[in-house]
Amino acid sequence: MDINKVSLSGLRKALDNKEISAVELAEEYISKIKTVDPEIEGYITVTEEQALESAKRAQELIDGGDSRPLTGIPLAIKDNICTDGIRTTCASKMLESFVPPYNATVIEKLNEQGYVLLGKSSMDEFAMGGSTQTAAFSKTKNPYDTDRVPGGSSGGSAAIVSAGTAPAALGSDTGGSIRQPSSFCGVTGLKPTYGRVSRYGLIAFASSLDQIGPIANSAEDCGILLNAVAGTDEHDATSARVPVKDFNEKIGQSIAGMKIALPQEFFGESTDEEVKQAVTDAAKEYEKLGATLVDCHMSSLKYAVAAYYLISGAEAASNLSRFDGIKYGLRGEGRSFDEMIRDSRSRGFGAEVKRRILLGNYALSSGYYDAYYRKALALKQQIIKEYNEIYEKADVILTPTAPTVAYRIGEQETDPVKMYLADICTVTVNIASLPAISLPCGYNSDGMPIGMSLVGKRFDEATLIQTADAYQRNFAAVPNKYRA
Amino acid sequence: MDIQTIDHLCELSKLNFNDEEKQKVMEEMSAIIELMDTVKEIDLTYDDTKDNNSIKYSEVRKDEAKPSYPTEKLLSNTEPQDNCYVVPKMVE
Repeated sequence: MDINKVSLSGLRKALDNKEISAVELAEEYISKIKTVDPEIEGYITVTEEQALESAKRAQELIDGGDSRPLTGIPLAIKDNICTDGIRTTCASKMLESFVPPYNATVIEKLNEQGYVLLGKSSMDEFAMGGSTQTAAFSKTKNPYDTDRVPGGSSGGSAAIVSAGTAPAALGSDTGGSIRQPSSFCGVTGLKPTYGRVSRYGLIAFASSLDQIGPIANSAEDCGILLNAVAGTDEHDATSARVPVKDFNEKIGQSIAGMKIALPQEFFGESTDEEVKQAVTDAAKEYEKLGATLVDCHMSSLKYAVAAYYLISGAEAASNLSRFDGIKYGLRGEGRSFDEMIRDSRSRGFGAEVKRRILLGNYALSSGYYDAYYRKALALKQQIIKEYNEIYEKADVILTPTAPTVAYRIGEQETDPVKMYLADICTVTVNIASLPAISLPCGYNSDGMPIGMSLVGKRFDEATLIQTADAYQRNFAAVPNKYRA
Repeated sequence: MDIQTIDHLCELSKLNFNDEEKQKVMEEMSAIIELMDTVKEIDLTYDDTKDNNSIKYSEVRKDEAKPSYPTEKLLSNTEPQDNCYVVPKMVE
């Protein structure tokens, strides 16, 4: 069996038909990780021993006829999702030695199915960044060109799926962190509706925006993974009391008559011509499939990046105040309590994390709160209103996932303002709590993948998967050299 | 953005920078705040009666005591003494 060309449902069949055992499958991936990952650096921690042990247990379930969709399926998990007894670093010196005493709810749900953890994937430190180059270790490379960034913050998860060192992975998305790296690495990433997946055990960055979601080779594979991890959780009051159905139930249904909106502001000057062309061509493909294209506007988009950084910064400043070096995390030195905390934080956090904390405290501080933080919240309400207006005349929205393809390492990730502005296409989705899926829709003249995003109504992930799948059935993906 | 503001933010954020780092941070933060200033261009007022992500707080779980994680596991990420967290002396 060629692990470079299989889907999650294909792996399921192969395991259930005994074409390959769960242990053999885990060994194949571990072997590939050992060959490929030194170049890609997608993993921070590879859990070879645990993978083989859980594969043995999974095989017992399969042999007993008790397999579920992910029994024996190997996965990579972003390193900000807590795994009991397995180091979880957030790619930060602050948590370099942190071993969680509990599992995130998504891990408990995957364990119930008997999945196989291959390892923890790299990311921007504390999920703050779009390049995976703010990681304190394992600065991941793009499998399509290792001189380029994989995107971020879930750059490890996206690069791993792209290089085929796991068939699928979990990431997290606060302002585009699943979709943008999926776009840069030529894979499919789904950011679920806020509340769809429990955040319990996800190390918090911005609690009103964070959401865990799948990165995989297709919309259908994303649906399989989302089916496993979605649902209400008593440990997370923000998890939605909305029933979970089969997110893949609409796959194969015609999209004829569907209305797809293209907000003009997403196709402005800051978006590369080749990206605009690829997304416009994809829109025409949808027309051929019977969809109607709807022209529309989102006039508040030009304020979205600032609103996002003010809200997420404020929440980050609050969330990251827990890192004091006392109960866990890097412990600094100092003769007083205050000195010790300051030393712990100054040595533990990297430059980008410090900037976000400073920005958040600035926006929340006396004299600035109304002008920045409350204004950002007002913009959040305005963005929600504008999305609602678009959904009065459309079923889904189509935009580029990022204004550019993956850029060269060192080209722009050292300029914070440039980096922040590059998030323009993704942040409004988190602000409005909506689901969105990014999928490849072409390649630029350098052969780098271009991604497009479909944005749906709240809790309508099934329509996004249906629409993405309809496109993917006719799209010829070009694999990178690690998958050829 | 001036040195006094940076010093104030460092105090709020519990972060230290040396003089050279502080200069760089001040320049970076000035550029970032300039970007954030775009929100001032639009005339909008936040309605705080409308924004709770549809969370019904009446549906949160009951406040009942349940077994928690083992103490030794919770203390495994630090160097405890006598089952306690150790901190520098706070009172002279």
